[in-house]
Amino acid sequence: MRAALAVMEKDLRLAWRDRAGWLTAVSFAAISVLVYSFALDLAARDVRPLLPGLLWVTFLFAGIISSGASFHGEGERGTLDAQLLSPVAPTALYAGKLLANLLALLLVEVATLALATILFDETLLTPELGAILLVGTAGYVSLVTVLATLGSRVRARVVLMPVLALPLLVPLLIAAVRATGAALGEPSGEAPWLLLLAVFTAWSAAGSALLFPLAVER
Amino acid sequence: MISARADGPAAAGIEARGLTKSYRGVVAVDGVSFSLPAGSRTALLGANGAGKSTLLATLATLVSPTEGSALVGGEAVAEARPELRRQIGFMGHLPMLYEELTPAENLRFFARLYGMEDGAERASELIREVGLWTRRDEPTSVLSRGMRQRLALARAVLHRPRVLLLDEPETGLDSEGLELVERLALRREGVTVLAATHRPERVGGWATGRLVLHRGRVAEDDATPRAGRRAAGAVAGGELPG
Repeated sequence: MRAALAVMEKDLRLAWRDRAGWLTAVSFAAISVLVYSFALDLAARDVRPLLPGLLWVTFLFAGIISSGASFHGEGERGTLDAQLLSPVAPTALYAGKLLANLLALLLVEVATLALATILFDETLLTPELGAILLVGTAGYVSLVTVLATLGSRVRARVVLMPVLALPLLVPLLIAAVRATGAALGEPSGEAPWLLLLAVFTAWSAAGSALLFPLAVER
Repeated sequence: MISARADGPAAAGIEARGLTKSYRGVVAVDGVSFSLPAGSRTALLGANGAGKSTLLATLATLVSPTEGSALVGGEAVAEARPELRRQIGFMGHLPMLYEELTPAENLRFFARLYGMEDGAERASELIREVGLWTRRDEPTSVLSRGMRQRLALARAVLHRPRVLLLDEPETGLDSEGLELVERLALRREGVTVLAATHRPERVGGWATGRLVLHRGRVAEDDATPRAGRRAAGAVAGGELPG
């Protein structure tokens, strides 16, 4: 746990100093929400049914940008190897990276929700939406973090991430969008979407933790 | 495969038995066998592409062997147990440092990964020793290549390893830096050293033996004691030169 916290602190410090990853993610999220608010005629139609999809597409790409940045350079400068040389279990390294990515993306998402609350005139910063955001983001980030590890040693990393991540994330995203819709009072069917989201998240986190040691093996 | 030993005469030595590593069919290290006694200091020589870096990375547990086996400090490298990794200090071609962090932050981070109680003190001690004390709070990215190499050396010896595997540690260093590498790593007492170098003229100052690779195979070995050389040759299926 101490090693995971050390990795998390280091990654957050790197993200703060580098700025490129999280600034790009924040800019992308802010511009997306702004464009959506202008594209949709807020006076003429109820945008609430569209909000879950718009928000999660924004979170998806913001997450790919910020999580991908967390492994940027780890392969080229050998720092991933330096960590693997230490007596720390690869799973602890993964947990540290996951926590750093999760915290960073949650900050971006909360800022996006605050902006969307103003632009769409909808109450989006509620405890229920917060819980959905936390569970969905945890599942999403756990998968993206392990895929970013794979990508850190591949030249075609820019292509690899969306090509691998998007198909694997489809079930989780559907559950997240539906659960968000239900939380906003939209008809979302009978399925227990938040429970399904939690199941997908648990599966994604467990699978990724098991895959990480293989992903870093040479 | 030879079995791992927890103790014995080669407790901090390095042994390889028919060690082979290939990448997608291209053999980088080809049936290498040798035995370096604990406390010995061996120069690893050979032309570019001879397999020196792959051999060192394999012994450091970073790369899994394709065939054969190796023991470092009496433990099988293929198992890469935490206790084994704690004994190894590795310095590769890459700096293995975070450019956005300062030298002090870099060393303190790695000290935490090694669970060092005296990590901060040890980091300060090493930063002084490698001559970076006045630059300790500047980002590593602004340091010169030679300074980064000194810091990389400090990272490799930070956790007081019993085995040092160094891949051309003298790269980018001036004469003062070369002296530092020899003092801090190559001539270190009580540590088994295997260091790849392209400066055979300086080897006499620190090495107790030489291991020469040619196209992935051992071409010359005066580091393995005679008895061990016969055993290594028998396991590898042939006589070793020298």
